Amino acid sequence: MSTCEARQILAIEDDPILGPHLKSSLEHRGFHVTLAGDGPTGLTLASEATYDLILLDVMLPELSGMELLTRLREQRRTPVLMMSALGNEAHRIQGFDSGADDYLPKPFSIEELQVRIAAILRRVDYERSVPSAPNQDAARFDDQRSDLHYEGRWVGLTATEYRLMKVLHDAAGEVLSKPFLYQQALRRGYSQHDRSLDMHVSNIRRKLAREQVVTLRLESVWGKGYVLELQAS
Amino acid sequence: MPNRHSLFWRLVVLVAGFCLSMIWASGYVGRYIDRTSSFLSEQARDTLSGYAREAQAALQAGPEAMAQWLMTMKEREQGWLVVVDEQLQPLGGQSLSDEERQKLTFVRHYDWPMSRRYDGLPLVSVPLANTGAQLIIQLPERFRPWRHHALLTAGGVYLPLVLLSLLFCWLLYRMLVSPLDRLRRQANALRGNRLDSLLPPSIARRNDELGELGRSLQYLTQRLRDSVVQQQQLLRDLSHELRTPLSRLRVACESELGAEDMRNRTEREISSMQQLVDNTLEFAWLDSEQPRFECEPVEVAALWDLLCENACFEAGWPRERIQAQIPEGCQVLGNLNALAQAMENILRNAIRYSPAHGVVRLTANREGDSWQLRIEDQGPGVLEAKLPVIFRPFARLSAARPGGDGFGLGLAIARSMVVMQGGAIWAENGLSGLRMIIRLRSV
Repeated sequence: MSTCEARQILAIEDDPILGPHLKSSLEHRGFHVTLAGDGPTGLTLASEATYDLILLDVMLPELSGMELLTRLREQRRTPVLMMSALGNEAHRIQGFDSGADDYLPKPFSIEELQVRIAAILRRVDYERSVPSAPNQDAARFDDQRSDLHYEGRWVGLTATEYRLMKVLHDAAGEVLSKPFLYQQALRRGYSQHDRSLDMHVSNIRRKLAREQVVTLRLESVWGKGYVLELQAS
Repeated sequence: MPNRHSLFWRLVVLVAGFCLSMIWASGYVGRYIDRTSSFLSEQARDTLSGYAREAQAALQAGPEAMAQWLMTMKEREQGWLVVVDEQLQPLGGQSLSDEERQKLTFVRHYDWPMSRRYDGLPLVSVPLANTGAQLIIQLPERFRPWRHHALLTAGGVYLPLVLLSLLFCWLLYRMLVSPLDRLRRQANALRGNRLDSLLPPSIARRNDELGELGRSLQYLTQRLRDSVVQQQQLLRDLSHELRTPLSRLRVACESELGAEDMRNRTEREISSMQQLVDNTLEFAWLDSEQPRFECEPVEVAALWDLLCENACFEAGWPRERIQAQIPEGCQVLGNLNALAQAMENILRNAIRYSPAHGVVRLTANREGDSWQLRIEDQGPGVLEAKLPVIFRPFARLSAARPGGDGFGLGLAIARSMVVMQGGAIWAENGLSGLRMIIRLRSV
């Protein structure tokens, strides 16, 4: 994967099995992983070196993950993905309040983790250089108005729907994962039972159908995410 | 302002009644004691009237006899003594100093009550029969009235007060402490894990603060009991459910499976166990935290669309087998994720129990200021008596609804989700199969 090349990841995880497993699995997938076994070491590493992403366990001895995150945020904006076996909603919200970029409940598979990592890294890249996709003749994205113009009509998208369409349009033809779309368009982490993205997609489809926008097709790819197909009119 | 049934009013009545009755009783008894103890005793009056008769005899016998009698009286009584006529002139050759004459104006008739204000022994007058003269004598010390006044006051006034206070405290105790004592006993029963103890009816009937406290305690006991029973049941069911994938894994370990098969089998059982644990945690979270979901307008048609898309993919159903009749503008006040999860669980359940080529249908109709969403399948339905049971955790009605492979948590979670949004959910047997109805406020 081109986006994964030589990316620096700091994993702060105290579990003697899960920690090394994370390191070896991610290194196998092309990341550079530094493993810290406790909170204070992790915080020192995170403040001294530059990482592309930090994987942070919530339950750590000495210094808890939440506390570590709060202290880290005083100095750096490094993206943080929290991992925890405490899966309840309240904890999740607390995590986002302290400045985590995403939250992954344990147990998770390495594939799931990789999707989340890719989503966060891609969002960071996206923020650094926004590629401007060519506007079609029929459909035109209007940033001022946050709406889609199609054959002389406005489709009537909301701000979030517009952001979502724009992200999908910029990567037209490529399947974008739900975690990435949450990061990019909804500006928060993804969780299993969150249906906001699906609802936005459902609304966009209805609006596209209503305005008979035939050149854009918003498709679901089961278990992966969404893709926008451009079709010649 | 305390309410009508408050203990405050009873306390007011009790304290006011106590104070008033105390004032009245002590005043009455005190006056009675004063009056009775201020009269001269029978013996004193007999003695004095005896002296009067002697004085009269002496008066009739002449001045010498009178002087003689006065002389003898000086020896018999210590105090001052004089016999006077109607004009208060001394008889029997006595003469009066001005001071003594002054004293004569403070004389009391021996039948009258004696004053307490007088410091020394009072002067009393005893009339001599048929003469108009009277004997005036300083009361002898032995006849002094008020002698037992202090004792009488103590016995007649203070003692009843003490008794009244005892009665008052006993009433207060009965009113406040003995119900509290019964409540304390119930609280102690809780501490001893005896959750079956009931509130005594004497407290349950009360309308005041203590009754309220009792009912709160009762509710607490009830909630605790339900919760303990539910937790125990949940724990039993959960362990039971976990045994199945675990025993399958054990069998797999002991068999001669190849590496790839083993990996697949393990993965399948792990995801089954993970789903079970996730659902149980979710249910326990809903049950223990009772979170209030933030509600917003939710477009039912759009939500149903995306649920159907997922469900059809999962079940391999063609899209036509899931139908909807939703009026234009059907929006409910709910929490998107919670409502989606509830409806998804119901939809999965309906699909699971549908016969081949069966159809699942959603209809929505408005009733007053709420919407009723009905999801109906064409499965075998559920026995009327078992309808409420299907919402219990781990309720699997294998006899009534064969073919289930879930853990029976889906509907329990769905119900909690709907209730936490301020809605209601129930099941009934429809025309063709089971019908689940969700009622939520409309926008």
